[in-house]
Amino acid sequence: MSTGSIIAADLLLAVLAAAGWLGAGAAAATGHRRTSAGLVIAGLLATLGRAATTIALARAGWWFAAEKVVISAPLSLAAVVVGVRRSAMALLFAGYAATGALLVTVGHGYPVSAAAALLAVAGVAAASAVTWWQLHHRTSRTGVAVAVAALVAGTGFAVAPGGAPPAHHEHRPVATPGPGEPTRRFTLTAGRAGEAWAFNVQVPGPELTATVGDVLEVTLRNRDIERGVTLHWHGYDVPNDQDGVPGVTQDAVRPGQEFVYRFVADQAGTYWYHTHSASDIGVRKGLYGALVVRPGPPAGVEVVVPVPAPPTAVRATIEPGTPVRLRLINTDSTTHRYAVAGAPFRVVAIDGVDLDGPPPLADTALLIPAGGRYDVVTTAPAALFVDGRLVHSTGPVPPAPGAWPVLDPLAYGTTSAAPWTRIDRRLTLVLDRGLDLRGLLPRYAHTVNGAAGPGIPTQVVRRGEVVGLTIVNRSLVVHPWHLHGHHVLVLSRDGKPATGSPLWLDSFDVRPGEVWQVAFRADNPGVWANHCHNLPHADQGMILHLAYS
Amino acid sequence: MRRAFVVVSSVTLAVFAFQFVFAAVGAFTKPSSEDAYALHSLTGMAVLPVLTLLTILFAVLAKAPARLVGLAVLPLGLTLLQALLAALTGTFADAAGDSSTLSLIIGGLHAVNGIVAVHVGVGVVRGASRLARPAGAEAGVAA
Repeated sequence: MSTGSIIAADLLLAVLAAAGWLGAGAAAATGHRRTSAGLVIAGLLATLGRAATTIALARAGWWFAAEKVVISAPLSLAAVVVGVRRSAMALLFAGYAATGALLVTVGHGYPVSAAAALLAVAGVAAASAVTWWQLHHRTSRTGVAVAVAALVAGTGFAVAPGGAPPAHHEHRPVATPGPGEPTRRFTLTAGRAGEAWAFNVQVPGPELTATVGDVLEVTLRNRDIERGVTLHWHGYDVPNDQDGVPGVTQDAVRPGQEFVYRFVADQAGTYWYHTHSASDIGVRKGLYGALVVRPGPPAGVEVVVPVPAPPTAVRATIEPGTPVRLRLINTDSTTHRYAVAGAPFRVVAIDGVDLDGPPPLADTALLIPAGGRYDVVTTAPAALFVDGRLVHSTGPVPPAPGAWPVLDPLAYGTTSAAPWTRIDRRLTLVLDRGLDLRGLLPRYAHTVNGAAGPGIPTQVVRRGEVVGLTIVNRSLVVHPWHLHGHHVLVLSRDGKPATGSPLWLDSFDVRPGEVWQVAFRADNPGVWANHCHNLPHADQGMILHLAYS
Repeated sequence: MRRAFVVVSSVTLAVFAFQFVFAAVGAFTKPSSEDAYALHSLTGMAVLPVLTLLTILFAVLAKAPARLVGLAVLPLGLTLLQALLAALTGTFADAAGDSSTLSLIIGGLHAVNGIVAVHVGVGVVRGASRLARPAGAEAGVAA
């Protein structure tokens, strides 16, 4: 059973436990003794089950089990100890305790917080006091006293400034010396085109191409996008002041304004650009395009496929046997399933970086995370399917692929030793959901280490260090992680070392229950966004910054 | 207070019923996307928790009998369970986010739970109305 499934099973058991105890209490209060006895057994079994899932999660990693061990387990224990007395009051108390144990996990799981524990106790005591009053028509002084004390203390802990200093955004981007005279010039004008927002009135925007060594100059103009635009070069490790993050590396470009980006095209490969201002809505409405940097003059047949793809497939006829390079770009916010049918293929590069010794593949599907790119080389005639739908073909179309196994890039290609032997600094990101009460309106945010952007403390590294990053997904959904300005080397997933070609990624899916260990050399000074590339998630808090001291 | 209990529980029931309309809006919006369910999720995650909490509050303030307060608490639990079931469908989907058998079963439970919530909501409104009626009228009905 995967850790992700255990997390889900734990939640279901927590719901069953709470429902069992509460139902038993309600049945006892209304005189249905046999129903009550049955529900007590259900509540007990679910509580026992939760003990098992908690132990299993603790073994998978303390991040997954912390609040379950420290807060939920004592509450569940209290539920069982009191609940077995089987009076209506005792059973309802058990129900409230089990509900509290559930709400702590759902509301603020990691890191364990005194505020969450005290507020859970306050809730249990308050509900018990009200019930006591309802059943016995007397005030339970103990209940009220515990509720008030826990509420006051819990609220105190919740609003106390604590260890997390507010993230301040007065960063000055690190300016770099001019890269020299531009050799490739482009102009991108952002504007509304009907319902869409487009660069140069086309979605996706124009494909920008360059050869390694070119100096790119891209002039961004905003015609009428009220929310502002910027250009972020996704996966391209540009100097900090060219990174296009509004409020961090530059101001958003407002209607009528312009901004000139200039950087050296020193990495070959498949990349893309998109607005980072109001990025959730902006990218969805069309403010993105492909950036392809070739090592030399283009050779052979190349096809750039950004997804979401147009509704009608491109059907080209190419001389059989001709090599075709497919540059697959997932510009969407969710993972997509790609399948190359009709001919064997190799994945020659991921996220712009060539793989070592990629063996040929057939009848194998590729899962590309949000923001990620795969370069695939095949021979005509072949067809590309995305999520089962034909998107491109270079000859007769083979039957649509079935349920093919999925390529695991961590075990593909020839391995080699990491370029360093030590890790100088370790940083951890625990991804989850939780209540965020710091804004004007409370929200159920996507959180990192228990906080939601812009309230997540900036992580600081020093230039030259090798930084190890541990990314843990406690939540129920996949989070495609994206660090700006650096490619990270994948070391391991769920404790199993990567055995294939070195994987230098800028976008990778951390699925529920997964733990990824990656590392990078801090060689690009500045302040960098570090976020989930499911852009609605980033919008709902899952974004923080990495700064150089 | 008893009138307020009737009003709040009725509004809650109406919003529960409208959730089916909003779900249908999501299902029939073309092209389909997660955004199509924005109204449905906003109502379910923000409006209904507040309304169900208010219903409990007014049930207590209206000095409703324990049994009716208990019944009034149920919709809050069902609402939270509903959000959890919706979240779990995503967990049991496959890696590309496509549905699996298990995720569809949980999605089906989401619908069943919605029907149960409406049923309980009707019970709460009935109880609240009975409570709001003058004592004599109730005796008359009983006779």
